Amino acid sequence: MTSLLPPGAVAARIAAVSTHLPTTVLDNDALAALYPSWPAAKIEDKTGITERRIAAPDETATDLACAAVDRLLDSGACCREDIDFVILCTQAPDYFLPSSACVLQHRTGLSTAIGALDINLGCSGYVYGLSLASGLIASGAARTVLLVTADTYSKFIHPGDKSVRTLFGDGAAATLVVAAEPGDGGTIGPFVFGTDGAGAGDLIVEAGGLRVPRTADTARAVPDDAGNVRSREQLFMNGGAVLNFTLREVPRAVGALMQRTGTSAADYDAFFLHQANRFMLDTLQKKLKIEDGKMPRHFAHIGNTVSSSIPFVLEREIAEGRCSHGMRAMLVGFGVGLSWAAGSVTF
Amino acid sequence: MSEFYQGLAEILEVEESEVRSDMELGESWDSLAVVSTIALIDDVHDVTVHPNALVDCKTVGDIEKLIEEERAGASKG
Repeated sequence: MTSLLPPGAVAARIAAVSTHLPTTVLDNDALAALYPSWPAAKIEDKTGITERRIAAPDETATDLACAAVDRLLDSGACCREDIDFVILCTQAPDYFLPSSACVLQHRTGLSTAIGALDINLGCSGYVYGLSLASGLIASGAARTVLLVTADTYSKFIHPGDKSVRTLFGDGAAATLVVAAEPGDGGTIGPFVFGTDGAGAGDLIVEAGGLRVPRTADTARAVPDDAGNVRSREQLFMNGGAVLNFTLREVPRAVGALMQRTGTSAADYDAFFLHQANRFMLDTLQKKLKIEDGKMPRHFAHIGNTVSSSIPFVLEREIAEGRCSHGMRAMLVGFGVGLSWAAGSVTF
Repeated sequence: MSEFYQGLAEILEVEESEVRSDMELGESWDSLAVVSTIALIDDVHDVTVHPNALVDCKTVGDIEKLIEEERAGASKG
């Protein structure tokens, strides 16, 4: 299998991944104290998550993103001046405008002779970001792309909403995507994409944009039928609808990518799925019939970190020597939008 | 139905022998149980049930009826 690049296109590869977590820990004991019907052991049993990290009140996704970029640059993975494009995936921008990517360019001391832009996606964002980064390299528009993912969903979540507070954690990741030199090995792509805006309301922060501006009414927090409290300015998730969408579309996307590349499950050394929670991953693993050793997981101590969840797994797997030269992996992201994508990567 | 009852017993945190069609779902029928049951039905029966319809179920029999309706709908479709 090749990455199916058109003639003349430049191949891209993942050169390095660095992550960053905020310092405040929210553990299950703290949550259980708020939710009498959910003891700490039950939260861990159902979600597989023991603790999540929460950004400080004055700490934004851009702060986490800058810290992840600083870690990547400090690691010596590349020279600051080599970077010629930044893609920042976040749903928690500092401002309506300008883009957080422009703020990040200046704060991390990157060259002013670079492109920088935000993309607004959640749990599918890393796979989309990789496709855009490798596309910029394939076309010759860029050679060294910094793909940054950062979110602080905790700031959108009402403390009384156990349906999402138990799951999501804040965090950021910086992935270095570079033009592959001859003999380097390593490819990114192809990809398959999916979008269904009919499910926009199933995972949403409804108020605070221009469609539903903030008012005293949108700020009013009320309990729903299940006793979870939130206002219209806070994150709402229809868990059942999101699960149904995932069970329907993820196997289709995985199948479509295999068909496109002429591969079968046996051709992949690993499947890096968006780290939603244990229940979701167990269900998908069973449905996709993926063996245990081929589906690395990393969420127990960080929760669901949205678009950073896949690079958190990647960073650990690379550090532990499990992404060796020639290894082939499939990356699958799915969530808010509704939006999903699958992509093939070789190391 | 035994695989389904076994899964349901785990979700509702009761003995499998206690699961019968007329069993009331009661207090343990929360959002987490509903989501877990969607996955169980997908796994055992390979049909998709709507979460709101599942939330409205009062007994195990209501869930079974919903599954039968979905299966009938799926075979027609």
